[in-house]
Amino acid sequence: MLSIALSELIQIFRNRLVLVTSLVMPVAVSAVFIYQHEGFAALGSLGYIAAVVMFTIGAFGLYTTTVTTLAARRQNLFLKRLRSTAAGDTAILSGLLLPITVISLVQVAVIMTALAAVTGEPDNVLLLVAATLSMVIMMLGLGLATAGVTNSPEHAQVTTLPVSLGTIAVTSWVGITGTEELALLKRLLPGGSATELVLNAWNGGAPLTESLILLAPTLGWVIVAVALASRIFRWEPRR
Amino acid sequence: MSSTPVIDVERLNLTYGDFHAVKDLSFQVRPGELYALLGTNGAGKTSTLETVEGHRAATSGTVRVFGKSPRDRRAVRPRMGIMLQESGFSPDLTVQESVRLIGKLTQRTDRVERVLGVVDLTRKAGTKVSQLSGGEKRRLDFATAMYGTPELIFLDEPTTGLDIQSRDDLWDVVDKLREDGSTVVLTTHYLEEAQQRADRIGLMHKGALHREGTVSELTRTLPAAIRFSLAPAAPAPPLRATREGDGTFLIETFGLQEDLHTLLRWAQDHEVELRELQAGPTRLDDVFRALDSE
Repeated sequence: MLSIALSELIQIFRNRLVLVTSLVMPVAVSAVFIYQHEGFAALGSLGYIAAVVMFTIGAFGLYTTTVTTLAARRQNLFLKRLRSTAAGDTAILSGLLLPITVISLVQVAVIMTALAAVTGEPDNVLLLVAATLSMVIMMLGLGLATAGVTNSPEHAQVTTLPVSLGTIAVTSWVGITGTEELALLKRLLPGGSATELVLNAWNGGAPLTESLILLAPTLGWVIVAVALASRIFRWEPRR
Repeated sequence: MSSTPVIDVERLNLTYGDFHAVKDLSFQVRPGELYALLGTNGAGKTSTLETVEGHRAATSGTVRVFGKSPRDRRAVRPRMGIMLQESGFSPDLTVQESVRLIGKLTQRTDRVERVLGVVDLTRKAGTKVSQLSGGEKRRLDFATAMYGTPELIFLDEPTTGLDIQSRDDLWDVVDKLREDGSTVVLTTHYLEEAQQRADRIGLMHKGALHREGTVSELTRTLPAAIRFSLAPAAPAPPLRATREGDGTFLIETFGLQEDLHTLLRWAQDHEVELRELQAGPTRLDDVFRALDSE
């Protein structure tokens, strides 16, 4: 798995398009949110900034790159090549997705640290970590499922839009309006409960047990995404 | 040499929706032999090969490689090298990085430099795959297949896109691998390669194995051909001959040498010129053509 991950890391740094979309873009968007934090905090709260930054990286860095990478590796038969070896399917997927996952986690950590340095520390760091990890796992699951219906890296520009824009929209909706109204709907939408978890972790004021229950809908999306991926993910291009 | 087959395929069936791609296919490949699986376009040989390699699940029937299911990658793949029909390398990795990665994942041990030297890619070690020619990509593919000298090697159209020198070099390496005990399964459209190299050949047509055997076993099922034309006033030839569309006489025979001798003696005795005389043993191409008309 590590040798696949190393080769994937090399490829990310050699491909300018991937480098820009997975590294530069999310960081640039996050920097704008931090720079304009007073305005965004007035719109929602500091927790809203943390959530939207986290989901920007999750959607445009992790999710989109996952789909694009898997579609590209399938299209040029690299997945088939890897499956011609003794490596198992789980090891292959883990190796391919490990670098972008680590990069995304590092990006989230750095940007959250920068936000904390500018605006003050979050109320519960561990809860924030739990929210981040659940978001990462959900985005990976959704990425695997979306890769199943994506024929090429170019096609990924279209197929990733519903989830990437949808999760950002849900994050903004929940972050700005809260969950006092339509709570069930907001929590069941992908990213809704994770956003509320980030709000609770950063702003404080919510009981811990209530916050931890919010992990359930996110993990539910993981189960749905993995179940979908196991049915529709393809290792070779359609003939 | 062990008599246990390296590959044992029994009543293999593959269907895609309503299409029956492979029908009740059975064959074995023995240790150390070069088995060529040939067929007309759409005969089902790629589907068969991919099933034997473990890339595809059988609809029904059994496939055993080294006595195990080829789907059990961890057990089987370290012992087999696969040269795919299409490249499948990442364009952003170099030649050296590609061989190192795939080599490591095969779980066999070898030196990347040695393997690159064998396929004459040492000078291209630091070149990205995207900058290789088609022939160089085939050699890279071969390099990963032969990495660590596997017991079984699948060569799917190995010489397509290679120049004559590279083809000869590749076959020299295959010969060396066979000397070291490797078993080879080959598919190719170059029938002369199969004719020269294969110990046994399986001929597939419309999803089924129509013929199997050594080259001589396959070719002796069809008559050899003697072709010639005669001047209009010439007497009728001494052997039973059919007239082809262009007026050429065709004698089909299982006794080529004897009939040719008879024909030449008749021509000399009657002072007849045998124009455009051609005679030769049955070739694999002829068996192939006969297959296509079945």
